[in-house]
Amino acid sequence: MTHAVAFHGKGTEYFRIWIVNVALTVMTLGIYSAWAKVRTQRYFYGNTYLAGHSFEYHAKAWRILLGRAIALVLLVGYTVSAILLPVTMGMWILLLAAALPWLVRSAIRFNARNTSWRNVRFNFQASFFEAFMAYVVWSVVAVSVFPLIPYARRIHDYFYVNHHSFGGRKFATDFSVGRTYLIYLYGFLAIVALLVAIIAAAFAIISAQTYLHDFLSHIPFPAITLDYPVLTAVALGLGGLFVATFVATMVTNLVIGNTTLEGGHSLASNASPWRVGWIVVSNTVLTLATLGLFYPFARIRLARYRMGRYALHAASDLDDFTSEALAQQSAIGQEIAGFFDLGFGL
Amino acid sequence: MVEGRYFYPNATHFVEARAEAGEGRVLRIADGAGAVLAEVPGKAVRATARLASLPRRFDLPDGARFDTPDNDGADALLRALGKTVSGRITDRLERAWPVVILSLVITLAAGYYLLVQAIPAASEWLARRTPPAVAHIMTEQTLMALDRFALGPTKLSAADQARATKLFQDVAAHSRGGQGAYRLVFRHDKPGGVGPNAFALPDGTIVMTDSLWPLVKDDSEIEGVFAHEMSHVDHAHGLQRIYAASLFPAILALVTGDVSNVSQMTAVLPGIIAQSAYSRSFETQADDDGAATLRRMGLKPSHMADLLERIEKSVCKKDHPCVKSWLGDHPDTDLRAARLRHEDIGPIDDHLNCWEPWKTGISLRCLGFTAN
Ligand SMILES: [Zn+2]
Repeated sequence: MTHAVAFHGKGTEYFRIWIVNVALTVMTLGIYSAWAKVRTQRYFYGNTYLAGHSFEYHAKAWRILLGRAIALVLLVGYTVSAILLPVTMGMWILLLAAALPWLVRSAIRFNARNTSWRNVRFNFQASFFEAFMAYVVWSVVAVSVFPLIPYARRIHDYFYVNHHSFGGRKFATDFSVGRTYLIYLYGFLAIVALLVAIIAAAFAIISAQTYLHDFLSHIPFPAITLDYPVLTAVALGLGGLFVATFVATMVTNLVIGNTTLEGGHSLASNASPWRVGWIVVSNTVLTLATLGLFYPFARIRLARYRMGRYALHAASDLDDFTSEALAQQSAIGQEIAGFFDLGFGL
Repeated sequence: MVEGRYFYPNATHFVEARAEAGEGRVLRIADGAGAVLAEVPGKAVRATARLASLPRRFDLPDGARFDTPDNDGADALLRALGKTVSGRITDRLERAWPVVILSLVITLAAGYYLLVQAIPAASEWLARRTPPAVAHIMTEQTLMALDRFALGPTKLSAADQARATKLFQDVAAHSRGGQGAYRLVFRHDKPGGVGPNAFALPDGTIVMTDSLWPLVKDDSEIEGVFAHEMSHVDHAHGLQRIYAASLFPAILALVTGDVSNVSQMTAVLPGIIAQSAYSRSFETQADDDGAATLRRMGLKPSHMADLLERIEKSVCKKDHPCVKSWLGDHPDTDLRAARLRHEDIGPIDDHLNCWEPWKTGISLRCLGFTAN
């Protein structure tokens, strides 16, 4: 039986939660941000339904606050020393390389163990060595040998999915690396097309303007001036965002579409990369144009489409899952990772 | 009596059930037929805080769970169990439109205050307290990097260097820091690099590139440039820029809380706009201070304007097409020149053109920010 995922969050409802969260965060000088995060996550998880039941987020705010405090201290230390003594950069890079596997692993694990569906929690179990291979060794390889980027991407995806479990049953994904290469090839071609389009547009505008200028220079008419550097930067930024979203959506479709859950269940993801790209780009424009006030509506809009394109092909009535016994996890790794903007999801 | 679902301990298996508070503040859960599924003292039950219309969850100590979409019923049940109803205040706040509007006002006011007052003030505070030793190390490192990529040993004759240094010392004597506060350094600029230019480094070192010298037609022109750079040193503008650039993302991350969820562009673009606004206000301040120094020396600031225009002409003739942008570090040359020519008479009362930002760029002065 196939169960589609559905997202029931509403823009105005989340807007009110968000704006109150931001105001309280500002008034408490950032301390409330941990509680704000928990409420936000609960709202999004709690409005995501699968087979008539919503997901749930269980993290405790004070744990997140602790992690955030540590992350802030590290961030300040890093920034100050990077500005004042660039020599220390090497030390920070080594420190990050050593801490990264631990950060990645605890961030993903914290999220998994604090997520439940129908009273059963998710879990994530990976060794430090596996995290080290996937996130340090393969990241370095991908950065130094560009053609291996899609290969490293597949290693990250395998690391993420294949160590997740639900009620003691493992998720597993498996697909040919050729398909990841194909997606990256599309992305590469799209970037080339984008650059060509921008150059062509700039050329067209400039020649049109020269023509207009020659033609109109005899009449008192304000010259049309365009801010080329800003226009080009905005076109590149938005175009790049579109391509990045496009590629990410195709990769997610590939990874999730090939994921199975022990017991004969399988997952599906069929979001249109064009549609997601459009939503993300227009969300960005609207958020900027409204000084950030569209942000909550943007998140709801994206979640509605994105979540609605996931599905589960279940082999049973899903009534026979039970949680593993789990130890309490610390949020510190997750929050440090979150603070430095290291996304490890799909 | 609250209708909901009872989940067996740590399992996805559930039955439709009802919950009520029994004798002695005990939570009793029974199925449709009335068979008791669980009976737990209220103290041992943990309930989730109310949030929008999400189902409410009661966690029992054995890992079982009761959940219900009936939020008011759940609140009543919690009270009957003698428990505090957590999250009720926040929930009320999130529902009341006046509170939402108040929050909006607070957020916008705080954002404005941070951008226009707090970040510049904090950067200035930090810049003033940065130890000279640190400023010196930074200068050495910046100069080393520049020497490697964009600059080389000067090719100016000893006579030219001596003359420039003499003019430099004259200006220094009339500047805020006095003669000991600044040091002039000559460098040859590699082709395609910084071009005819002068810039101030944090410890008072002022670098002049060789290609600037032949463009100077009158002594007071280069004296104006030195006075401008000395003002950058006096106000530690270089350090202020660095501090502002690191404070902005840190504060944004703290307030939004979720850096990873903010789309990259939405975070980057306001940062660039703010940086360019700070930088432009520094440049205007340096021009004004430079003009004041020239007047103290009995010279005319309009000479600086002449040199500015000549530099632009010489740079724009070459392979660089000269483009104007609102996001540049400096205000447009025509604007700076016009302002400097006004200053021949005396300090000008600020008459920035705030209503045509495409001409002046976005200036924080228009928003009430005054540099000091
Ligand atoms: Zn300057």
